[in-house]
Amino acid sequence: MSANFRTRLVERLNAKAPDSQHHISYEGPRPFGGDTIHSYRLGNGLTVMLLKDDSAPVATYFTWFNVGSRHETAGKTGLAHLFEHLMFNETESLKAGEFDRLLEESGAESNAATWVDWTFYHESIPADRIGLAVRLEANRMANLVLREPQLVSEKEVVTNERRQRVDDDIEGAANELLYKTAFTCHPYHWPTIGWMSDIEGFTTDDCERFYKTYYAPNNATVVVVGDFNEGSLLTKIQSAYGSIPSSVIPEEDTHPEPPQTEERTLVVHKPTETEKLLVGFHGPALGDADHAPLSLLNEVLFGGRASRVYNELITEKELASDLRGWVSTFRDPGLYDIFAAARTGRNGAEILDVLDGHFSRVKSELVSEVELARAKARLELSLLQSLDTMSGKAEQIGFYWTVLGDPAFAFQRLEAYRRVTRGDLRRVARRYLNSSSRTVLRVLPDEAGDAVVEGAA
Amino acid sequence: MKLATTERFEIPGGALAFVEASHAIPLVSVGVSLRSGSVCDPIGKEGLARLTARLMRRGCAGLTANEIDNRVDILGAELSGDTGLSSISMGGQVISRNIEPFAELLARIVSTPTFDEREFERLKRQTLAEIVEARDSDRSLAHKALRRNLFGGHLYGRGAGGTSKSLAAITLDDVRGFYAAHFTQPNVVIGFAGDVLSAEKIAVKLVEKLPKHAAPKVELTHPAQLSGRHLTFVDKPDRTQTQILIGTLASWPHDSDHVALTVANTVFGGTFTSRMMREVRSKRGWSYGASSSVAIERRRHSLSMGTAPGAADAAACLNLEIGLLESLVSGGISARELGFVKKYLTRSHAFEIDTAVKRVHQALDVELLNLPADYYSSHLGNVKNVTLEQANDALKNRIDPENLRIVVVGTADSMLDGIKAGVERLSSVTVEPYDLE
Repeated sequence: MSANFRTRLVERLNAKAPDSQHHISYEGPRPFGGDTIHSYRLGNGLTVMLLKDDSAPVATYFTWFNVGSRHETAGKTGLAHLFEHLMFNETESLKAGEFDRLLEESGAESNAATWVDWTFYHESIPADRIGLAVRLEANRMANLVLREPQLVSEKEVVTNERRQRVDDDIEGAANELLYKTAFTCHPYHWPTIGWMSDIEGFTTDDCERFYKTYYAPNNATVVVVGDFNEGSLLTKIQSAYGSIPSSVIPEEDTHPEPPQTEERTLVVHKPTETEKLLVGFHGPALGDADHAPLSLLNEVLFGGRASRVYNELITEKELASDLRGWVSTFRDPGLYDIFAAARTGRNGAEILDVLDGHFSRVKSELVSEVELARAKARLELSLLQSLDTMSGKAEQIGFYWTVLGDPAFAFQRLEAYRRVTRGDLRRVARRYLNSSSRTVLRVLPDEAGDAVVEGAA
Repeated sequence: MKLATTERFEIPGGALAFVEASHAIPLVSVGVSLRSGSVCDPIGKEGLARLTARLMRRGCAGLTANEIDNRVDILGAELSGDTGLSSISMGGQVISRNIEPFAELLARIVSTPTFDEREFERLKRQTLAEIVEARDSDRSLAHKALRRNLFGGHLYGRGAGGTSKSLAAITLDDVRGFYAAHFTQPNVVIGFAGDVLSAEKIAVKLVEKLPKHAAPKVELTHPAQLSGRHLTFVDKPDRTQTQILIGTLASWPHDSDHVALTVANTVFGGTFTSRMMREVRSKRGWSYGASSSVAIERRRHSLSMGTAPGAADAAACLNLEIGLLESLVSGGISARELGFVKKYLTRSHAFEIDTAVKRVHQALDVELLNLPADYYSSHLGNVKNVTLEQANDALKNRIDPENLRIVVVGTADSMLDGIKAGVERLSSVTVEPYDLE
C-alpha cells in the first residue's frame, strides 16, 4: 500500500469525523528492519503505530503509557504498578472480571508491565478479533471505575507479589537495596513495586488522581503488529478512542541524581547459604552515545561462558556459581549493575578482587578484536531474537518510542554497535568503572535475619 | 496467509528430522534431541544423563571448552542443552548466515566429545554449587518436594539434576558409557525452525558419525496412585510467604479421557478467569498467581495446583484450594463453563502454532514423548468434541481429592500448626529441611 493509499484513507476517515478529536493524521512511514511502521495520530493526541505481519492469523495490541515509577513521589511509591493491576477491573460498561472473560472467550491473552519509565498493556488476539482489543483498551482508558473493595483486594495481591519478588527473594531484595543506596534523590531510588507501607496505604482518591492525570490519549501510544486490514483497524481505533479527551500531562518534577563521589558499601545478612555480591556503577542513559559501547564492554566481561569474568570466576577459579552484568536501559542515567553468587566457602571480597582486576585491565588495555567481534555478534543475535515474534516486535517499537521517541531505535542501536571500536570500550571503561561512583553490596548468609550491618542508606 | 506444514524426513541410519521453514527473520533454530532422558539414569546415579550432555560441550575433537564457547559466540549463536524425564536436547539458535559452521560445530560436539577428566571434575563441582544456589528459590524447592513425594520410588520421583550424593557417585566411565549407549542414530530426532534452506543435508551431517545401534530401553511403568492426604512441609527460615503445591496422579495422552481432563482443568485453573484465579486472587487477593496444570509425559503424570499466599493467609488458602478441588470433582464443571473454555481453547489455538519454533516443537513432542501421532493435529477437533459428561467423568475417574500430596514451603515454627489445621483428613505430615537435596 502506498502513501497515496494512506492519504486517501485518512481523508475518508476525517470526512466522517464528528469533531477535531476524531481527526486523524498520517505521520509517515518508518523503516523497521525489512518492515515498515506506519504512524498515525488522532486529534486527541493518541499515537498509533501499525506494522503489518501476516506470518500467522494473529495480532498483538500494545498500549504504552508514558508513566512509570519515576512519576511517583516519596510516600506514594508503587502507585503506577498498583494501578496497572486495577486496570483489569470494572469499567462503567463492564463489570469486574468481564474484561478478561471477553478476551479469553475470543481466544486472547492479555498482560501488562510497569517499570521505572513506562507502563504497557497488551493483548495477543486472533486477527479476526482485533476489534475487541480496540474496544476494551479504549474503554478502560476512559471509563475505569475504582471502588474500595477491588482496591483492598488488589493491594493484597500486590503485597503478595512483593513478598514473592522481593521480601522472600534474595536477589530481588538485594537489587532493591542496591538501587536504593546508589540513588539518593532521583526516583530510581525506589522500587517500581513500591515500599510495602506505601502499597498498604493507597486510597481510591490516590488512584483516581493518578488515573485522571496520566491515563489520557495524549500520554499513550497504541502499537499493533499482525495480520490486520489497516483501513478497517484505523476506523475502529478512530471510533473507539476519538471521543476520549486529552488531558494536561504535568511536567516532570524529577531531580537529577548528583554525581557520586565516594564508594558506598553495605553488608546485609539474609537466609541464604552462599554470599552474594552486587556492584552498581552509575552509568549512561539509554539514549546516551556511551550506552552502546558500555553494553559491548559488558558482553566482553560478563556475556556468556566465553567472557573474561565468567571464565575466571566460574570456570578457572571456581569462586562463583552465578554471574550477571547489565547496563540499565532507562531514560535517565541508571546503573551498570553486576551480580555474583559465591560458591560455598568463598566470599564477596575474593570476587570483588577479581572484578577489580578486570576493571583495571579494560581501562588500561584494549580488548582484542576477537572479543569485540564476539560481543557484537552476541548483541546482534539478541536483537534478532527479540524480533522473532509479533509481540517482540511490538514491544521493541513501543519501548523505544516511549523512552527515546524513536520506534526503530533498535536498528539504530545495531548500527551503533557496528561502529564501536576497541578504543570506545576503553574510553567508557575509564569513564564509568570508577570505584568512587559505585555501590558495593555484600549479602552474607545468616539465619539470624535481615539486619543491615554497616553503611545502610 | 497460509502456515507452512512441518516437513518430516528419515535419515539413513535411523534418525528422524522435522523442518519448519520461515524466512521472516534471519534466524535458525536447530536441535538434536534424544529419546533418552533422566529416567535412564541408573539408580543411585541420578543426574548422569544431564551431566553427560553438559560435559559434551566442554570439549570435542580439536576444540577445548573455551574454544567451543568462543566459536558459538562469534557465529552469533546460542547453544544450550536441556535434559528432561524423557529426552535430552542440545542445540540453539544462530544467525542464518552462519547455520553451516554452527551445524558443523554441533555435529562435532555430538559426535566427538572428549570427556576430559579435568572438565568432568570441574563440571561436577559446578553442578553441586548450582544445587546449593537453587535453594534460594522457594518455588524450586516446592517443585522438588512435590516430585519426590508424589511419585515415591517411581522413576518420575527423581530429578534430572541429581543430588549431591548421586553426583558424587558418578564416574567419568559412567558418562562415557551413557554416551556410547544413547547417542546413536536411531535414537536421534532433529528439529529445524526458521530461515533454513538445506536442512536435509545439514541433518545428515549432524548425525552421520554416530553409531547405528539401538539405544537401550527403560522399563517405565505408570506411577502408582498414593493413598491419603500427605503434607510435606519444607522448613526454611524467615519466610513471610509460603509456596503451596498440591498434586495428584492424573492421566497421559493415550487415555481416552485425557483431552476431556485437560479441558476440565482449564476451567479449574488454566486461565486468568478460572475458578482458582477467581476465588484465590480476584476475590480474596491471597496470592499473586493461582493456577493448575495437567502434565504430559510418557506415562501417567500429575495434575498440580500452585499458589503463593502470605504467611497469614496460607492455611485458609490451602483449605480453600482443597475445597475447590473437592467441588470440582463432586460437582463437575457446568455447561456454561465448558462452552466458554471450548471457545477459549479453539480460538487461542492460533497461538499454539504462530511461530515456526512452536510448530516444530509439536512435531518433536510427538516423537520424544511418544504421543499419539495425531495428538496435535487432532487436538482442536478433540477439544470441540468433549461433552459435559466426558469432562465430568474424567474428573471423577482420574482425580481423587482424598489422595493428595501437599507441599508447603514456609517457616515451620510459625506456620506448621496453622497449615495442618487447614487440611481435613490429613493422614500424615513430614517436615523436611530445605537443603534436603
